[in-house]
Amino acid sequence: MINDIFNILFPETVLTIFILIMLILSMFLSPRLYKFARFLSVFGISLSIFFLTTVQTEPQYFGFKNSVMSDSYTLLFDFIILLCGFFIALLSKNLVKSFKSNAFTYHAILLSAILGAMFTVSANDFLTLFVSMELLGFSTYFLIASAKGYRSKEASFKYLLTSAVSGGIFLFGVSYLYGITGSINFSEIYKFVSENEVSLLYSIASVFVILGLCAKLSVFPFANWIIDVYKGTETSVLAFLSTIPKLAFFGIICRLLVFPLGNSIILPFAVAIISLITAFWANTYAIRENNVKVIFACSASANASYALLTASLVSVYNLSTVIFYLICYVIMNLSVFAFLNIYGDNNSMNVENFKGLFHKNHGLTGGYAISIVALAGIPITSGFIAKIYLFTAIATSGLVFVPFLLALLLLTVVALFYYLKLLLPLFEQCDKNTEVMNLKPAFSQKFVLIITSVITVLIGIFPEILIELCKFIAFNI
Amino acid sequence: MNNFLTIPFLIFFPMIISFLILSPFFTSNEISVRRFTKGICFINFVYSILMIIFYSTGNPYTSEIHFFGMNWVQSLGIKFSFRADSISVILSALTCFVFLLASSASKLNIRKNHKFYYSMLLLLESAILGIFNANDMFLFFLFWELEMIPAYFLIGGEFQENNEYAQDAKKSAIKFVLFTFFGSMFMLLGILLLHYYNFAANGVLSASFNDITDSTIPLSIQILIAISLIIGFGVKLPIIPLHTWLPDAHTNAPVPISMILAGILLKTGGYGIYRFNYELLPQSFQIIAPFLAIFALINIIYTAFIAYAQDDIKRIVAYSSISNMGLILLGLCAINRIGISASIFHMVSHGLVTCGLFMITGIVYLRFKDRNINTLSGVATVMPRLFGFSVLIVLASIGVPLFAPFISEILTIIASLNSDISDIIKFVALFSLPLLILSSCYMLKFLHKSFFGGLKAEYAKVNDISVHEFVILASVLTGLLIFGIFPDTLLSFVGNGIN
Repeated sequence: MINDIFNILFPETVLTIFILIMLILSMFLSPRLYKFARFLSVFGISLSIFFLTTVQTEPQYFGFKNSVMSDSYTLLFDFIILLCGFFIALLSKNLVKSFKSNAFTYHAILLSAILGAMFTVSANDFLTLFVSMELLGFSTYFLIASAKGYRSKEASFKYLLTSAVSGGIFLFGVSYLYGITGSINFSEIYKFVSENEVSLLYSIASVFVILGLCAKLSVFPFANWIIDVYKGTETSVLAFLSTIPKLAFFGIICRLLVFPLGNSIILPFAVAIISLITAFWANTYAIRENNVKVIFACSASANASYALLTASLVSVYNLSTVIFYLICYVIMNLSVFAFLNIYGDNNSMNVENFKGLFHKNHGLTGGYAISIVALAGIPITSGFIAKIYLFTAIATSGLVFVPFLLALLLLTVVALFYYLKLLLPLFEQCDKNTEVMNLKPAFSQKFVLIITSVITVLIGIFPEILIELCKFIAFNI
Repeated sequence: MNNFLTIPFLIFFPMIISFLILSPFFTSNEISVRRFTKGICFINFVYSILMIIFYSTGNPYTSEIHFFGMNWVQSLGIKFSFRADSISVILSALTCFVFLLASSASKLNIRKNHKFYYSMLLLLESAILGIFNANDMFLFFLFWELEMIPAYFLIGGEFQENNEYAQDAKKSAIKFVLFTFFGSMFMLLGILLLHYYNFAANGVLSASFNDITDSTIPLSIQILIAISLIIGFGVKLPIIPLHTWLPDAHTNAPVPISMILAGILLKTGGYGIYRFNYELLPQSFQIIAPFLAIFALINIIYTAFIAYAQDDIKRIVAYSSISNMGLILLGLCAINRIGISASIFHMVSHGLVTCGLFMITGIVYLRFKDRNINTLSGVATVMPRLFGFSVLIVLASIGVPLFAPFISEILTIIASLNSDISDIIKFVALFSLPLLILSSCYMLKFLHKSFFGGLKAEYAKVNDISVHEFVILASVLTGLLIFGIFPDTLLSFVGNGIN
């Protein structure tokens, strides 16, 4: 046990220690010390990133009686999750300042969410997966509800309800899998499946499992929560909500699709169809919307469905594509929400209110614009490469998927329409009567925005290094 | 001579300068920015002319850029590679020339946001040059998409003072972007499938034009690819049901931008059909060429009638462009050496003509604040020199001998009559020959209604064209005359490059 901790779980342990420290401090220190709390949180995450170097990945390591695993795949996901956590902790200023209760509590919850996400990716049986999912989930409810006003409470409650239902569906699928294979351990299920013939029931059970997990990605049957939740959530929490749970759940879904549930026949088609429906719903919903947060909610849902479609066409090559896409997407989203965080949650989120911002604040609005351009998939940004790479993966999966590909391509045209709706007001010339806001960013917010948008452009120009890394990871799974 | 003339310089020089202009250190003085841009366009033009002069047949310019010793996207076989054969070289030179004219013409009506305007102009130039010189399908696609950003801002941006068409311009810019994006998504589908099936059939993971051979790809898939590519290019060219963005964009954009759009941007569609469908997928192109020829005929006739019904002088010119693009498409569909070279020739000659025509409409609108031919009259009485130029350029556009379009129209018809692909193409050629007269109907109507007749009293003191405008119109006319009198210079140069 102790060996396992030192071999693969040291970063997680460091995070846990920091959570405990913060919880203890929250009892004694003044709740107004938000800068110190943020420093502690950032320091803990950095330390955890540093200790990722101690994690043993070659060969695959199974710890805690086979319930947790570690390889280069989980290491990469842990790294990105921690990196996102680092940026999100930096963005916490506005929220924590207006937060009536304790700054330390907020950061403790944020760290526990990150912890849950890390365990979700490295789970090796359904029990660990469920527990870490719930850790991530409950932390998320608190984070959403932490802002002032009833809207955040409503959002949190809606998210809780959807998660509860989807968790039930997930457990239902798991119970069937247990009934068929006699185990909840991924390795043993895989062993059973590769030795025995796969029944229809097994396929149906695996569809239920994946559906239960997909709810957190806001995919079709459980897609509606995302609109209300995004509307009512603070931007710094949105930066969290649109990155870390996504990474965690994609991490585990890709692993499940490749490794224990890979033999199911109807699963790829079921997933492909639900993701297509999601893409259609999300893109068409966003056309009528004028609220920036809602548009990004739809964009999050749509992007998740593109990646899910690719992940469902199981192949190693596609897996590397999904990883690459996720990394690019997460970076773009961080940059977008960093800008919205600077813009401020108290201001109206209507697209009309963003008019003429570019002429007042070149650098910041430029970074935001770059990220939107990247989300739309236009060149010299990582979004372009990611899109091409993703669509290549679908094209290589056979002629059956050409209609899917065509549908997705046409939906990106629809998507461009609402991205333009976000983008164009920024550059509009305002007459002298209307007042354009002067953004006053803190250093930490500016730092996040600039770093992420620069990375977005850099990946767009030199994509090969990251692609090679993703391919290496995918081939090692 | 490949060592001292490189394509990356041609393409990336304007792009770097455009970022320089956009940077806050650069002066925002109108005159210096414009002259600087003009200078850059001139350097690029001279460079492209040098590339023509030192071009040796059968020995295209090539170059490749590596990042840290790797290809751009190694795992998909995407290279940052350029290749310019005779057609690319000619079209690059035309691009540089049109941009030189457009940057000079910007003096007419660009009054605001100079830095942004000129930097976008140069960015558009490098994107278009990139399209003409790319040697990789995905690189081609990258420039194709990249061109959308500056084109959007140039069409819809606020660069003119008291512009009554500002709102329409914004809408038509969005329409342009959505249409282009729609087309390019079909194109991307075609490229992805071609890339994959080429890999599956030939085992070469590469998106380079050199590495693609169609003979081993199943014919049905080839046709699927070809159709999706044609839809992509058909939005730009445009082919009839996909054309509705064009009249709006051309009419509402500022004059220099209309010149660029009609003079160059439409040609990228024709170039794409040549590069992809004709060169890479000849088998399937032979099958779909007759159907395309019918679309070309519809382009020629239908838009000619629409052009005749228009009141707005800019709209007349815009519709005449679509009509001419039908002719270019017909030349490509003939699939023989004369047809292709006539097509390329017509791209050049129409590029020049349309620049001249848009310049004339711009000058008229600047002086008379009116673009409607029913209310406009008597321009000739106060602007005799403009009238002279207008007559000559209009005559050129309707295909009168001595001017370049005459040669290219006649050659296109001859080539399609000689086409051995299908009888449909000969049929189309027979039909389109008499229908070319329609072009003289609407062009002469434009000339007659706006230039003749009585002049309104308030316009009695309008000045004739300035030296600046004279130079632009004269250079267009010179180009038309040179290629009209010595067509063989261009034709043999282009013809030698076609396989």
